[in-house]
Amino acid sequence: MIAEDLALLRDGLTRLLRDNGFDVVAAVADGDALVHGVMLEEPEIAIVDVRLPPTFRDEGLRAALEARRLRPQTAILIVSQYVEHAYAAELLADARGGVGYLLKDRIMDVAEFVEAVRRVAAGGTALDPEVVAQLFTTRNRAGPLERLSPRELEVLALMAEGRSNAGIAEALVVTVGAVEKHVASILHKLDLPPSESDHRRVLAVLEYLQG
Amino acid sequence: MTVFRPLVERRTYRELLFLLSGAPLAAAWFGLLLAGWLAVGLLAVTPLVVPALVAFRWATWLAAAAEAAVARGLLGVDVRLSRPRPAGRGYWGRIRAGLADPTFWAQQLYLVLRTTLGFGIAVGLASVVGVSLQLVVLPVTYSHFHEDVLGLHVQTGGTAFALVPLGLVGVVASAWLVRGLAAMWARLARMLAEPFAASLPRTDVQGILRRLLPAHAAFYAGLNLILIVIWALTTRAYFWPEWTLMPLAVPLAIHAWTVFVDSGDPRRIARTRALAIDLGAAMTLFLFFVGIWAVTTRAYFWPMWPGLGLAVVVGLHALATMTRRIDVLTTTRAGAVESAESELRRIERDLHDGAQARLVAIGMSLGLAEQKLADDPEAARTLLAEARAGTGDALRDLRDLTRGIHPPILADRGLEPALAALVARVPLFVELRVDLAERPREPVESAAYFVAAEALANAAKHGGAARVDIRAVRIGDAVVVTIMDDGHGGANPAGAGLQGLRGRVEALDGTFRVDSPPGGPTIVEAVLPCAS
Repeated sequence: MIAEDLALLRDGLTRLLRDNGFDVVAAVADGDALVHGVMLEEPEIAIVDVRLPPTFRDEGLRAALEARRLRPQTAILIVSQYVEHAYAAELLADARGGVGYLLKDRIMDVAEFVEAVRRVAAGGTALDPEVVAQLFTTRNRAGPLERLSPRELEVLALMAEGRSNAGIAEALVVTVGAVEKHVASILHKLDLPPSESDHRRVLAVLEYLQG
Repeated sequence: MTVFRPLVERRTYRELLFLLSGAPLAAAWFGLLLAGWLAVGLLAVTPLVVPALVAFRWATWLAAAAEAAVARGLLGVDVRLSRPRPAGRGYWGRIRAGLADPTFWAQQLYLVLRTTLGFGIAVGLASVVGVSLQLVVLPVTYSHFHEDVLGLHVQTGGTAFALVPLGLVGVVASAWLVRGLAAMWARLARMLAEPFAASLPRTDVQGILRRLLPAHAAFYAGLNLILIVIWALTTRAYFWPEWTLMPLAVPLAIHAWTVFVDSGDPRRIARTRALAIDLGAAMTLFLFFVGIWAVTTRAYFWPMWPGLGLAVVVGLHALATMTRRIDVLTTTRAGAVESAESELRRIERDLHDGAQARLVAIGMSLGLAEQKLADDPEAARTLLAEARAGTGDALRDLRDLTRGIHPPILADRGLEPALAALVARVPLFVELRVDLAERPREPVESAAYFVAAEALANAAKHGGAARVDIRAVRIGDAVVVTIMDDGHGGANPAGAGLQGLRGRVEALDGTFRVDSPPGGPTIVEAVLPCAS
């Protein structure tokens, strides 16, 4: 289901998702309707705008977290005109995966956006590259990331966005095997336990970066 | 024996020396201040006032340096004076530079305190110590000198010995008195070097006054109760306790009024704290005179004369306050309009050069793609991809622009998360401390945010800083934002960015200061009142 207050974007998003084989069960315009809709329609994933009426602040984020508290199996994908890593941290706080946080700009790259929706619905994560970039500036100075090679930093950034090894390999135009080697090296250098599941991996990385 | 400890420590005697030095120094500074202001005042209508003021400024500085040396040596306070800044441009510019220098005024204030309060303390302390010592040695001396001590004519050894314990108590008490007074002066002495509010240890004077009020009231009530009981048990004739009841009521009433003023409302009516307090103090004094009149002759109503004087003083104060207020409002309103105007121009320019231009480019790409769709689908596809990339850039431009107008996270979450997000985007080591019990009003909050944002951007761009400290704390009923960086200083307070901030802060009745000597550090401070 979709929660977005601007009719233009709501209809556009609905059409885009329907064209790509999704079933949009509800498209609503405010936070309360979102929480009701999640309880009533039980969607696999809710795509929510951060800024919703009546306050036009972070209403959408709060409503989404509330909906997820009431029905934990709902995946949440937050879309917004701006990203703040503080919000990403709140979304990821329960460390369960099935969350995403993207700039609205990313919707324009339809294939990638659809990929992200599927990934989040399946329990993975999708973080906007800008969030990841913010995290990296913040931590630039202090220590541990300096141990990584530039290539490993690139891989880490893509990992934090929620991509699988195959996805990373495609983005960097290298083999999956090479990526696997980098990932193992990164996790080792950052003293993180090796993990299979994609979103676990992301969460570990983020927790590490923020902690 | 901790009670006697100050007596055996050398420190106490050094501090005693410092306090006693108040008497000779007071005489010297009194001469200096009198001569200085007299010269400046007399020459005020001639061009000679400029050298007079410059010389006076230097003389004040020398006196302050001497005081600082005394305070360093005897009180152990680390005050070091920097030389007065070069005094302004042009002949007349020197006057403005001299009078606008906060260090000059702080040093003047210190010298005035030293000649008044310091002199009083020196004399009072000397007599307390003198009388106490006299009492201690009384058994030896009374037979030789037949002294009158404390109004008693001591004639027998018994009386003399009986007074010795009192003398001892006096000696111990004065040692403690010396310690307390010296601690107070140690704080005052810092004023010599650091008038700038950011570097002063901030003391919440209003809070201290508020907390002291019950004790003050209890002291007043207790003392008078004791005296009335004594009166009731003794003569019961003339009601003499009225001479403590009334005079002591004056400071208590003024104290209570000050606390009341700080609670808000009367100040809003009188527009300033100083005027409100003046008004209350004048009323209290007038009532005091009326009280005295009532318990004495009750003949001719003489309190009308001091009353008239007080009314004139309050009237003049009100007039001065209002005039100043009008000046401030006129300039700040002009400043606010101007800064809003230039902000709008900036937004217009950004939109014109950014998002609008990009949309035009996107439109052109789409138009071309439309043309080529039929015969060259491959070229059309490239154009479409370009158009899409263009919308991404346009969105990024708009996002940067909205962040510059009012960052969403500031409205959503308040000052601290917004500043944290800001800090995250700057490649500097930033120490951020926000200590606000509740969220201030929105204009105050965003002014505080933009002061920090602009100062941080300056530090990163021009200041050559490696480390920045940002503090936002609530002091009294104001939010104080201070940004300090370790860059090479030399920021121009008249630059567009800082001037815009000044307009913004002053429009909220706040004060804005930039201190950026060549070589750094740069300190930007905004005090934003938020009556809540």
